[in-house]
Amino acid sequence: MLELTDLTKNYGEITALDGVSLRVREGEKVALLGPNGAGKTTLLSIALGLLAPDSGTARLLGRPPREALAAGRVGVLLQDAGLPDDVRVGDLVGAVAGMYPTPSILADPELEALAGRRVAGLSGGQRQLVRFALALAGDPRLLILDEPTVGLDVDARRALWRRVSGRTVVFATHYLAEADDHADRVVLLAGGRVVADGPVEEIKALVGGTEVRLTLDTMDEPGLRALPGVHDVVVEGATAVLRTGDSDATLRALFAGFGDARNVRTSGADLESAFVSLTGKGA
Amino acid sequence: MRSFLRFEVRRAMSNPVNLVFLAGFPVLLYLLWTKVLDLASGPVSMVSMATYGAMGGALFIGGAIALERSGGWLRQLAVTPLPAHGYIAAKLAGGMLAVLPSVVIVLAAGALLGGVRLPAATWLALPLLIWAGVLPFAALGVAFGYSLKGQSANIAMMVVYFVMAVLGGLWLPVSRMPEGLQVFAEYSPAHQAGSLGWRALDGLAPTGTSVLVLAGWTALFVLLGLWRYRSAAWR
Repeated sequence: MLELTDLTKNYGEITALDGVSLRVREGEKVALLGPNGAGKTTLLSIALGLLAPDSGTARLLGRPPREALAAGRVGVLLQDAGLPDDVRVGDLVGAVAGMYPTPSILADPELEALAGRRVAGLSGGQRQLVRFALALAGDPRLLILDEPTVGLDVDARRALWRRVSGRTVVFATHYLAEADDHADRVVLLAGGRVVADGPVEEIKALVGGTEVRLTLDTMDEPGLRALPGVHDVVVEGATAVLRTGDSDATLRALFAGFGDARNVRTSGADLESAFVSLTGKGA
Repeated sequence: MRSFLRFEVRRAMSNPVNLVFLAGFPVLLYLLWTKVLDLASGPVSMVSMATYGAMGGALFIGGAIALERSGGWLRQLAVTPLPAHGYIAAKLAGGMLAVLPSVVIVLAAGALLGGVRLPAATWLALPLLIWAGVLPFAALGVAFGYSLKGQSANIAMMVVYFVMAVLGGLWLPVSRMPEGLQVFAEYSPAHQAGSLGWRALDGLAPTGTSVLVLAGWTALFVLLGLWRYRSAAWR
């Protein structure tokens, strides 16, 4: 369905993609996971023929991307695509569906309620719903979605993913939870490289878990590293950040063994810092 | 691609701003020239102002393209089966169709408010001649649309629009301009576009020179548009 081989792309001094290969087969749901600036959007733009790579090749449904798009079996939701403001939603969706060999208008009560409204008066979430309807307007075999749920509330997110089911999907996201819920394969992108590629569980073990932040008067990094569950420690002055797969056990042992631990805070894994530790290992 | 063409035509025809801008303003100017200031003859001014409005309508097709380019709509269209030339064709068709009613309104104002009386055949020929005469401006508009983005395209086109209209003698006759300027003026596209209608007032067909000069400008602007389009593509 999608075949990218050895893609590189530089913007001046900045390397956006540094030798990325990716093959997506029919029926797969692939999340392209990475922090902002990881190269997700660049990767998708090249896959769609919107951007030329410096080297490497992209094939979509077995042909050059532009041809595949012209044939109308790929649905795309772009992050920075706009909509004309002065038209009615129903006219817009109808006009775009009419471009495809297999027109399909999303049967959705919320979208139907918007049909008579002008795009100018829509909220961010409603616009995203319209963009999504445009992506589905050709009943696509392959869906490519760049940050599809940005600006949507919980219900709208759920509804969007429900409508995706049954298709081959490649989507970019910077939410681990979204990849976890809706992908069966995660490609982890950082600094323009694929740093991991595998089933969701495998990637979760790498970047998931909980972060524990604390202050110690006398820093003891090896001691912190030895706490149960901890798989990574980052020290900045008197502050340490632990990444743990079992925060309960880690905290119990921390308070038992480190009387001077103060300002202890826990939070869900922050993808950005997880990436720093992941890519830092390779350097 | 027919669905998109229909969409663009409907969109262009239902834009009230267009009508105010392309018909309302020229009608006001016509009344100002002929009724208030008594500077120009009724029929000639009517044709000039209809041409002036139509010219704006053709040029600002490019303004719409520039806005859609900067707003990201073209990025969305780039991932649909619609080819780039299909987009431009639909924009031109919608924009040029929207020019026609504005021309008819200015001519109607001439007949109803200005008391212009002409043979029926002339009334029929005028909108078509004026409409065909502003085709080069549609091509120029597209070139602008692919050169500049967003509002800056509209501002640049306002300036070009005004300068070309004045130079072409749509606001005041070329014969009142300094002699050096007259040569430029006579071969400018707006003057040639206007001359189609002015000659029709006297029952004369367009001259071969007019047709050639207009075709030349159109070819030049199309080339300019193609060049700008190639370097801008969908971005």
